[in-house]
Amino acid sequence: MAEAKPASQKIWLVSNDNATMEVDRAVVERSMLLKNMLEDLGGADVSPENPIPIPNVNEAVLRKVVEWCEHHRNDPVAAPDDESDARKKTTDIEEWDQKFMQVDQEMLFEIILASNFLDIKPLLDVGCKTVANMIKGKSPEEIRKTFNITNDFSAEEEEQIRRENEWAEDR
Amino acid sequence: MPFDLAGKTLSPFLKEHIPDQYAPVGKNLKRDDKPGAGNALANIKDPNTKYCYRHRPDSKCRRAADETKMGTIQRDLNSLSSADQEAITHVWSLFSAAPAKHRELMLQGIITQCCFPQLSTVSREVQEQLKIDFIATLPVELSYKILCYLDTVSLCKAAQVSRRWRDLADDDVVWHRMCEQHIDRKCTKCGWGLPLLERKKLMAWNRHQQTAHPTPSNRGAETSAEPASAPAQGSNKRAMVVRDGGGAKRSRVNKSSGNGRAQLDEERKFRPWKDVYRDRFKVGYNWKTGRCSIKTFKGHENGITCLQFDHNILATGSYDTTIKIWNVETGECIRTLRGHTSTIRALQFDDAKLISGSFDKTIKIWNWHTGECISTLQGHADGVLSIHFDGCKLVSGSIDKTVKIFSFDTKQTWTLRGHSDWVNHVRIDSASRTVFSASDDLSVKLWDLDSKQCIKTFLGHVGQVQQILLMPPDFEPDEDPNADKSEAASASSGRGDSPAPSPNPTADQRAAFGYGFVSDPARPLPPRYMLTGGLDNTVRLWDVATGKCIRSMFGHVEGIWGLVGDTLRVVTGANDSMTKVWEPRSGKCERSFTGHAGPVTCVGLSDSRMASGSEDGEVRLYSFEGASLEERGTPS
Repeated sequence: MAEAKPASQKIWLVSNDNATMEVDRAVVERSMLLKNMLEDLGGADVSPENPIPIPNVNEAVLRKVVEWCEHHRNDPVAAPDDESDARKKTTDIEEWDQKFMQVDQEMLFEIILASNFLDIKPLLDVGCKTVANMIKGKSPEEIRKTFNITNDFSAEEEEQIRRENEWAEDR
Repeated sequence: MPFDLAGKTLSPFLKEHIPDQYAPVGKNLKRDDKPGAGNALANIKDPNTKYCYRHRPDSKCRRAADETKMGTIQRDLNSLSSADQEAITHVWSLFSAAPAKHRELMLQGIITQCCFPQLSTVSREVQEQLKIDFIATLPVELSYKILCYLDTVSLCKAAQVSRRWRDLADDDVVWHRMCEQHIDRKCTKCGWGLPLLERKKLMAWNRHQQTAHPTPSNRGAETSAEPASAPAQGSNKRAMVVRDGGGAKRSRVNKSSGNGRAQLDEERKFRPWKDVYRDRFKVGYNWKTGRCSIKTFKGHENGITCLQFDHNILATGSYDTTIKIWNVETGECIRTLRGHTSTIRALQFDDAKLISGSFDKTIKIWNWHTGECISTLQGHADGVLSIHFDGCKLVSGSIDKTVKIFSFDTKQTWTLRGHSDWVNHVRIDSASRTVFSASDDLSVKLWDLDSKQCIKTFLGHVGQVQQILLMPPDFEPDEDPNADKSEAASASSGRGDSPAPSPNPTADQRAAFGYGFVSDPARPLPPRYMLTGGLDNTVRLWDVATGKCIRSMFGHVEGIWGLVGDTLRVVTGANDSMTKVWEPRSGKCERSFTGHAGPVTCVGLSDSRMASGSEDGEVRLYSFEGASLEERGTPS
């Protein structure tokens, strides 16, 4: 067990473009990766001079992720098998998170990768749901347009695949 | 900018950066364009700082050149003087040769100089060009995760976007999840529930996933049954599914997408999950819209009183004292079982035998394959109205007001006394060792088979109770605001049961079922919910533990004789000659079917079919699967 760790204990993170930021330990611990790491190391030797490197996450994204963690610092930790219950799966996103996710696709992409890497499940869920909501209710062509995807099917293939998937349409 | 100056700054800049850009491999790391970068990790992971870390030439995230765009740029450039062309090209070369950090600085500088219309251009261009193919670019497990959030229609649209999308959106990982969410349950997400024909396969797949090293030989029976869709096991199968289905279903796949490929490929020898889902979806759709084909079975000389069917056969009992076995496909009567001397009132069959109860006071056990009567049980002092067997126990209800239990293995018989009128229906719940009985005395009783005592009486029906339906473990009723109000009014204050569970609900529930359940904490509890139907025209939903009626389902205008159901739907048949299909969670009637010329006395249900038997001597079998379906019935 680590020594006393008041919620206000500060932790320093450094992004891959060398921006150092000071964050409350309670906020940092929304990341399971960092939480486990701090529990193993005690976290005492983390200082502004010796911050925790977060490779693959740049400053803008890291700030965004920290912002999310700040807002959700007091959320109860979800049971690990909570997510596996398919019946709880909806793409509803709470209002604050929806606003938070109103970012460009690159930022959204980076948030998803960062939350996956840092193991912040609820943020990863929100990110993935946001993408799912961008897909929902759209025609294939609209989806292509949304994500700038090239249609690499031939006309015949496209027609065949359309027929294969016809059954789901509202008749 | 004067050109000589441009030349002076440009050439060294390009000279410094371009070689790195085109020879990124084996490049040394000591070049340091970010002073104070003590972060070795970041450097190793990101050797080419020319681009931001995702725009390396080797990264698939790099944007493809947009031909149209390039064409426009070329044309616009050509229209300028050569000096201007050169100047602009210089700016571009500087930018293109610059490392990420420098590029960002350049952009910052340019953007601060822009006026609003120019910023608007930037904004528009960014909007247009900052698009990422998430599904194709993200790590595959995240793509699956996103796809798993989609509904059926969107998933099918996603499969039409591109080759890569089709591969991912059609994947078994995604559709297996869809199947789990929907088959034999209402998905809370979309309100769809699909029939469970393929349940066996689903369970086998789950097991397969859970076991690190699957040994198909151990599962011989199951695996061999796999490729054949829906082996016929009749009502027994149905009962089995309800009983042991819940547990197996709940144990979920520990799906870490990493473990997948090899195992998944092995599963390919089965049908793809998308196909399984599609077939079930079609049936679900047909139920929802009432699209079915109807087959009528005629042959009894008098009204039908009881029926049961499976994939191959239909068994019916009649006032004409016979039992008939029909071929479900052809509609022809295969066999007539004769022996009872009065009206048949109850029957149940499994693979080997058929048991019938009659007004002639006897219960007969038949080999329905041959038509031979194997044995006759005498014991009731009056007509037998209901029988139900499970395992080695047979329960019967009679006009003589008693419930009798017969054990096939010990040949012992017990009598449960307590009802003050005809016992119309009995159901045994083997797991909890209890029996439910419904009576003309307006009550339903719950009996402990260990103590042979009545442990609960359910009061509420104002007409004779004709039917009991024990709901499967994963059935969960919707909250019903109306019921809440009326309940609060009638049941005074103490209604802290379902919405606000007490600290130890299990212990409380055990206590509710008496000593036999308190003293043995391992004893399974009786089903949590039950539906009952009666001659007061209502179907009632009960919380078995509290004994309270949670909801009444109205719609029939005369008494209810038949009641069957599963998690997805409930079917009732009534004296008003109608057959109704209900949504069990909400208790809403979905569709009403007419067609019989007399009261509907009995009903049957499978995943894709339902049957109604009537005093008009006919059975109508509605099939919601297959070709040439027509919309029938009236939606409610």
